[in-house]
Amino acid sequence: MEMFLQSLISGLLVGGLYAIIGLGMSLIMGVLKIINLAHGQLMMVAMYVSWSAWNYLGIDPYLSVVLSVPFTFYLAKFLSKYLLNPLIEKDSILPENQVLMTVGIGMVLVELARFLFTSDYRSVQTSYTGQAWDLGGVSISIPLLIAFIVSLLLTAGLFYLLMKTDLGRSIRATAQDRLAASLMGVSAEKITVLTYGIGSALIAAAGTFFLPIFYLYPDVGPEFTAKAFVITILGGLGSTVGAITGGIVLALAETFGATYLSSGYRDAYGLVIFLLVLVFLPGGLKSLTKV
Amino acid sequence: MKFGKLLIALLSVSFLFSFNGCSKKETGPIKIGVILPLTGSKAKFGTMEKNAYELAKAEINAKGGINGRKIDFAYEDDTGKPDVGRAAAEKLINVDKVPMLAGGYSSSVTFAAAAVAQQYRTPFLVNTGSVDKITQPAAFNLTTKDGDKFYIYRMNPPVSEYASGLETMLSQVIKPKTVFLIHENTTFGTKGAKSFAKTAAKLGIKVLGTEAYSSGTVDFKPILLNAKKVKPDMVYMISYVMDAAMLMKQARELNFQPKLYVGAGAGFTMPAFKENAGKASEGVFSATLWHQTLPIPGAKAFYDNYIKKYGGDGPDYHGAEAYSAAYVVANVLKRCNGNYSKENIKKALDKTDMMTAFGPVKFTSYGEKIHQNKMTTYVVQWQNGALKLVWPKNLANAPIYYPIDYKKIWK
Repeated sequence: MEMFLQSLISGLLVGGLYAIIGLGMSLIMGVLKIINLAHGQLMMVAMYVSWSAWNYLGIDPYLSVVLSVPFTFYLAKFLSKYLLNPLIEKDSILPENQVLMTVGIGMVLVELARFLFTSDYRSVQTSYTGQAWDLGGVSISIPLLIAFIVSLLLTAGLFYLLMKTDLGRSIRATAQDRLAASLMGVSAEKITVLTYGIGSALIAAAGTFFLPIFYLYPDVGPEFTAKAFVITILGGLGSTVGAITGGIVLALAETFGATYLSSGYRDAYGLVIFLLVLVFLPGGLKSLTKV
Repeated sequence: MKFGKLLIALLSVSFLFSFNGCSKKETGPIKIGVILPLTGSKAKFGTMEKNAYELAKAEINAKGGINGRKIDFAYEDDTGKPDVGRAAAEKLINVDKVPMLAGGYSSSVTFAAAAVAQQYRTPFLVNTGSVDKITQPAAFNLTTKDGDKFYIYRMNPPVSEYASGLETMLSQVIKPKTVFLIHENTTFGTKGAKSFAKTAAKLGIKVLGTEAYSSGTVDFKPILLNAKKVKPDMVYMISYVMDAAMLMKQARELNFQPKLYVGAGAGFTMPAFKENAGKASEGVFSATLWHQTLPIPGAKAFYDNYIKKYGGDGPDYHGAEAYSAAYVVANVLKRCNGNYSKENIKKALDKTDMMTAFGPVKFTSYGEKIHQNKMTTYVVQWQNGALKLVWPKNLANAPIYYPIDYKKIWK
């Protein structure tokens, strides 16, 4: 029973983290209609910003979110305005050119990070790293708990933004029909740039809150790009609630699989669920909730 | 027209000469290929080994190089992937025309590159790739009698022998009754776990369970819980550096206190392990192949010079292996008497018997292996934030800290 509870709690907490990683990807995929393969790499950039703030300026990793999020937001806006948008305008030979562009952006970011910070593994050490509450034999990692709470807040915030504000309506309109939105006076180009920025800011927040739990090196990104992709499909494109359920479902599948079956195949359990969802629920989990 | 023909004639003649890479008149540097992971998740180790090669190169060339000629290393990045490693070996052999390969970090990449070297009959001095089959001719469709057809040589011991020093320490001092194995699901991890299970059987230690994981896992708690449930005396882990740190950090969070934690080299001896795991690294034992305080001539000097040149926390056994491999290469080339053909280099490799900062190097045959350098391994332990050599006793620079009081060291 203790083992079941521990797996459940571990799975939920890691799921919260997966959710914020998936949230940004889901938003970008919904509006830009592309898989952002530079997603994990943008998270890596934000992690390096936080790590530098901690290492050189002594700023607590959680406080450095005020640096890493704006930095990644403006970087992503710049990337989408000057590198991704021009490709939408052109009738290119391959419609996938934008996706290829994100691959290129990702590579450049990784090598820049290697140039600036070398391939060394980095991590932050704070008073709360490695701290855990012991609740009757079940251990709850405090940094993971904080990341979980933040991910809930971010999801709620994004939900509010999309559903209740003008900007959100414009984003949803562009996602549904780019041309029609333009005819209604929405600047599709601006919305695209902004969406890429917001999506990247979310992954930046994820990266910063992830730093005290994990570690950092230039190639940390790709694995999380793949995770984000799975979560997005699990949850359903462009859905905030879908992203958080997708994240939690994926993490629970991994954790329970690892505890009760064999941990060597941890990644396979998530992918089995992924396949089942694709076969039986092609719209993702959001087709159950309708939001 | 005439000029054109002349040009073509000249070009084709020069083309002919370009094949003859070892002509005696050459005075430029002798280029040796080195395959290492310089990008990707194993880049940290690859960079350390490259730095060590460069350090050795500067020293060798300052002392007159190879009979007056300089030595040079052509590095190819294998990115930690076997297919890229294969391509890297092919490029070095066919495009750069190197007469010899060195390097080789991860087991699966090294094995893939070794197959290429064997195919092109190019000597390959492996410095780290540790899976047993690399020096087993059977894996290349040869037998142990085919030494003259087998082009792979290895400096470091195979993974099945990493724990030989640990074995004596366990049987003489700690005497655990049960063990739980946790390993990475790669060639290195799986083979290492299997061979340690055999060792355990020999020592009368009962294996209570084995768990594999994939590198880069965020949450190790399911594995650790399964281990905690069966209450082993000892936990034996085969992991690269950051997984090692995550394992120990989360073991501390779970308050999982077996009598001892032991790492199988690889990640557990690196400074980055201590930095990331923090207090959770205290008291952890690890098998190791080298330590800077060992009474090997040149070991401490290498360690100090490395820090002087590259800063940071200094090299562990990986650096020492690469540094010494560079010296073995230089020694072999010196004994080629100016004829740097692949066959001549191979003959010189066979006769290698020298002392390096990593210990004595001599390629011998035993069991199913040939061209394998046999050596003793040691045991280190993290004590008060420093890595201390604790076994064998006559070489140790600190007593073994055991039994471990987790309440004190994990606080």
